[in-house]
Amino acid sequence: MKKTKKLLLLLTVFSILVVSLTACNRSPLDPDEPVTLTMWHNYGGDMQQAMDLLIDEFNSTVGKEQGIIINVTAISSSSELNESLALIVNGDPGAPDMPDIFTGYPKVGVQFMEKGMLCNLDNYFSEEELDEYIDAFVEEGRLADGGLYVFPIAKSTEILYLNQTLFDRFAAATGADSSKLATFEGLAELAVSYYDWTDGLTPDIENDGKQFFASDAWFNVIGVGMTQLGTDFLDGEVLSLNNDTYTSIFNSLYTPSVKGGFAIYDGYSSDLSKTGDLVCSTGSSAGILFYGDTITHADGTVENVEYSILPYPTFAGGEKVALQRGGGLMVAKNEEAKEYAAAVFLKWLTAADQNMEFISKTGYLPVTKLAFEEKIPVHLETLEDARIKKMLTAVLSMYEEYDFFFAPSFSGFDALSSKFEKDFKALLTEEREKYLEGKEYSAESAIKVLQ
Amino acid sequence: MLKEALKLWAQEKRTNPKGSTLQRRLILFFVSITFSIILLFAVLLMLLDIDGSDKKAVSGYLKAELTDVSKKMEDESGRISLLGLSLAETVSGSCDTFFKEQGITAAELTVHPELIEPLLERQITSLLTVIDNNTCSGVFILLDASVSGSAEATDTARSGIFIKKTSPVSIQSVGNKNYYLRGPASLAREHGIDLLGQWKMEYDISGQEFFTEVMTTARNNPELPLSRLYYWTGRVTLKGNSEAGFLLCVPLRTADGAVYGLCGIEVSDRMFKLLFSPTDSTYSNAFSLAAPWTEEAFCTSKGLIAGNSYLTGHRMEQNLLSEGEKDSFEFFTGTGEAYGGYTSVLRLYPSGSAYEEEQWKIAVLLPEEHLKDALAGNSAYLLFIIIGLLLLSLLASYLISRRYLRPVNHAFDTIKNKSYGESPETRGYTEIDDLFAFLAQKDKEHEAELLSLEQQRQNVEDSYEKAQTRLTRITNRKKQEVDQDGYQMFLSHLHTLTPKEREIFNLYLEGKSAKEILVNVNINENTLKYHNRNIYSKLGVSSRKELLLYAALMKEEHV
Repeated sequence: MKKTKKLLLLLTVFSILVVSLTACNRSPLDPDEPVTLTMWHNYGGDMQQAMDLLIDEFNSTVGKEQGIIINVTAISSSSELNESLALIVNGDPGAPDMPDIFTGYPKVGVQFMEKGMLCNLDNYFSEEELDEYIDAFVEEGRLADGGLYVFPIAKSTEILYLNQTLFDRFAAATGADSSKLATFEGLAELAVSYYDWTDGLTPDIENDGKQFFASDAWFNVIGVGMTQLGTDFLDGEVLSLNNDTYTSIFNSLYTPSVKGGFAIYDGYSSDLSKTGDLVCSTGSSAGILFYGDTITHADGTVENVEYSILPYPTFAGGEKVALQRGGGLMVAKNEEAKEYAAAVFLKWLTAADQNMEFISKTGYLPVTKLAFEEKIPVHLETLEDARIKKMLTAVLSMYEEYDFFFAPSFSGFDALSSKFEKDFKALLTEEREKYLEGKEYSAESAIKVLQ
Repeated sequence: MLKEALKLWAQEKRTNPKGSTLQRRLILFFVSITFSIILLFAVLLMLLDIDGSDKKAVSGYLKAELTDVSKKMEDESGRISLLGLSLAETVSGSCDTFFKEQGITAAELTVHPELIEPLLERQITSLLTVIDNNTCSGVFILLDASVSGSAEATDTARSGIFIKKTSPVSIQSVGNKNYYLRGPASLAREHGIDLLGQWKMEYDISGQEFFTEVMTTARNNPELPLSRLYYWTGRVTLKGNSEAGFLLCVPLRTADGAVYGLCGIEVSDRMFKLLFSPTDSTYSNAFSLAAPWTEEAFCTSKGLIAGNSYLTGHRMEQNLLSEGEKDSFEFFTGTGEAYGGYTSVLRLYPSGSAYEEEQWKIAVLLPEEHLKDALAGNSAYLLFIIIGLLLLSLLASYLISRRYLRPVNHAFDTIKNKSYGESPETRGYTEIDDLFAFLAQKDKEHEAELLSLEQQRQNVEDSYEKAQTRLTRITNRKKQEVDQDGYQMFLSHLHTLTPKEREIFNLYLEGKSAKEILVNVNINENTLKYHNRNIYSKLGVSSRKELLLYAALMKEEHV
C-alpha cells in the first residue's frame, strides 16, 4: 500500500513536471532547424534600406535565437505586388509561389481570406497584446469574418505636398493666395491661374503652361471628398455616381484638368515634382522621401527647393476628413511553425523601438499606442531628417483635427476602384485633347460617360 | 596489474568463504548478457561505419552545392557577359550612326550637351529589350559627358540611363515593372517608366573607381576587342542607389576606336541571393559567396553572398582569410567568425582579357560552429543512447533479479522458520510448493525418528540409573566389609607416595595390569615389585586386591 502511494506520488510529480515544461516551451520553433519565411513588401527605394536593416537585425537577433529567417524575395510597388498576388489568389497559370508574409491592403487580403489562404492572427496575439495597438488600425485589418488578417505595421494618411519655392515664385508674380490651397476649389482656381501664367512666360509657344496639381489617386479624392460632404461614394458595392455631391466634385476637378492645371498622369505625382513640372500634389504622407529637396530641370540644372506639408484639402463646405492609408502585413495560411514564426516577426517589427526606427527613416506613422502617444513627441525633437520631421509634425496635427476615412474591403473593391481610376483618367485626358483641339467639351456631357 | 587484481580477488574470495549471493550471480548474469548485446551492437555500428558523425553528409552537401552554384555562376556570368557585349555592340552601332548624322565625333559630345538626350533616346529601346527579356536587375549606359552646364558639376556628373526592374529573375512577367534610376525624366515618361525615389538625372561618379578603370583600360588597349575589355566590378553601390550589386561594364567605342562611355548590366544583391542561394533543406545556415580573391583571402567587401542565413552582405566587410584545410574542409576567418566549406575558381574573363589577372572565387560555406555541429552529427546522441541503455540494463538486471529471487529468499526464510506454505509470497510457485511438501514430509519422518531416539535415550538413562543404584548398594556393602582403620590409614598415607609410586598407583586405579604398567612406565618387573612393596607398606595394605578395594571405595567417595 505504501509502495503504491509512493509510486502514485512519483507519477504525479513527473506528470506535473512534464506538463509545466511543455507549457513553458510551447514554441514550435527550433533554433537548430530554422524556419525560412519568404516575404514580399512594397518598401522600395529609400525605404528599402530601412526595411532591409530591420530584417537583418531581426534575423541576427530574435530570429537567430528562435530559429526564424526572413527572406525577402520581392520588393515592388503596391500595384505591382497586387498584380502578382492576383495571379496567386486566382490560381492562374504561371503564378509565382505565394509568399509567407506580404504587404497589402485589406481589399487584397479579403480575396485571400475568402479562399482560406490567410492566417487569422487572432490565434497568435492575445487580447492584451492587441490592446497595445491603436484600435482603429487593428479594426481596419479585421475582415468580413471578424478575424485579424491584415496586421498594421506602419500607417499613413494623405497630405498636400507643396513646392514652396515654385509657389512663392508664382505668388510673387501673380499675387496667388496660399489660403486657397485649403480647398479643392481653391486648388482648381490656382491651377488654372498657374497654367495660364506659365503659358504666358513663353508667348511664342502655345499651350506649354505647366501643371499645378496632381493626385496619385483620383478615386481617393472623390471618395474622401464625398465623405467630407456628408455622402458616400459607395452604395453597397456599387459606386454612387448619380447625385449632386458627385456632380459638384466632378465639376470641381473637370475644369482645371481640361485646362491643364491638374495633371492627369499615370505615374506617381512625385515623378512630376522632381522635374519641377508640378507645384503641389496630394499623396501618401509616407511618400515624403520620394520628393527630395531638389528639382532637376530638363537642361540638367538642379535647383534646391523647399517643400511644405499642408493638411489634406477639403471640398468647400465639407468636414475635415482624410484617407487612412498604409496597408499591413498578411501571413499565408501555413504549417503552425511558419505561422508562429511570422507572428514573432510581426510582434518584433511593430514593437515601439523597431517601429520608431522604421518611421524615422520612412515617414510612416507607428501603430502602437506607446509609440504614437509617447515616443513620437520625444522622437520629433531628435529627428535628423528635416523633411520627415516636417511631415510628422503636420500629420500629427491632422490626427488631432481630422476624421479618417477607411477604404472598404469587400472583394470586388480593388477591381472597382482600379477601373474607375482608369476610366476617369481616360475621360479627362480625352476631354483635355478636345479642349486643345478646339472641339466642343462640357462637364455635363462628360459626367454622363462614367455614369 | 591483472595479476595483482586476480590475487586480490582470490584473497577476497578466501576471506569471504560464504561466496556469492544468488541475486548477485543473477545480476551478473543479466549484465553480462546485456553488455554482450550492446557490445555486439557497437561492433556492428563500427563495422557499418555508423558513428553518428555527419561528416560524409555535410561534405557531400557542401560539395554538391558548390558544384551547383559554380555551374550556375559560370553560366550566368558568361550569359551576362555576352549580353553586355551584344548590348555594347548595338549601342555603339547606333551611336556611330548618330554621330555621323550630327556630324560630330564622340569626343565632341561634351561640347554639344543638347545632343545627349537625343542620343540616349535612341538607346532606350535597346536597354528596355535587354531588361525585359533577360534575368538581370538593371541595365545602364554611362557616357563620359554631361548635360550639366556648370564646370564644377561636369567633373563628377555624367549623363546616361540606368533602368532597374523590380523582379530581377523574372522575364516579361505580370507584376514586373521597370524603374528609372538615372536618365532624362522626359524619356522615362515617354516610355511609361516611373522614376525611383532616388532618381537623379545624371550619375555622380565621384568615388566610383570602376568608371575610370574601365575607360582608362579601354583607352590604353585600343587593339583589344570588346570581349577582352569588359569588366566585372566588385560589389558597388552607385551613388543614390539603395541596393548594392555587381556591374558588368563594357566600354562604348566608335568604329575608329574612341572610347566615350560604357554600358552594362547590373546583378543586384537581391538577384544574386535569388539565383545563387544554396538549397536550405539540409543546412539552413549554408551560404554561397562570390568575391575577388587576393593573397589567400576573399575580398568580401567586394563580394556578394547568398543564402538563407542571417548573414548579409554588409555584415561581411572584412576580408575572409584562408586558414588552410582541416578535416578536408577549407577554413576562413573574418570579423570574429570563422567559416568552413569548399571553394572553386570563378572564371569571369577569357584569356587575353585586360583583366585576366583578376582572380575570383566561389565558396559554399557554413559558419564554423554550425559546421562543427553538423560534423558531430548524432555521435553524442549515440553515445548517450548506449550509456543510457547500459544504465537501464543495470537497473533492469537489479530489479528483475530482485523480483525473481524474492520468492526464493522468502522460501529460505520460511524454511528457516519451518512455516512451509504459510507465507502468501511463496505460494503459487510449483518448485517451492513441491520443496515445501517434501521438507514437511521429511520433517515428519525426522520427528518420528527423534521420538524413537528419545525413547531409547530414556531407556538407557533408566538402565544407567538402575546400575548406579546397584553400584552404590555394592559399595556400601563393601564399605561395611572393609577394615575402617586400614582404609583410613590408606587414605592418610596416600600423600607419602613418591611421584613414581603415585604414577603406578594411578595406573592400578585405572585398572591396568602389571604388564601394561611395565610398558607404560617403562620399568622392569623387579623395579615394579620394588615399587609395589613400597606402596603396600606405605599404605598399609598386604595385597593388590586390598589396594584395589580401598581405591574403589575412595573413587566412590570422590576423595
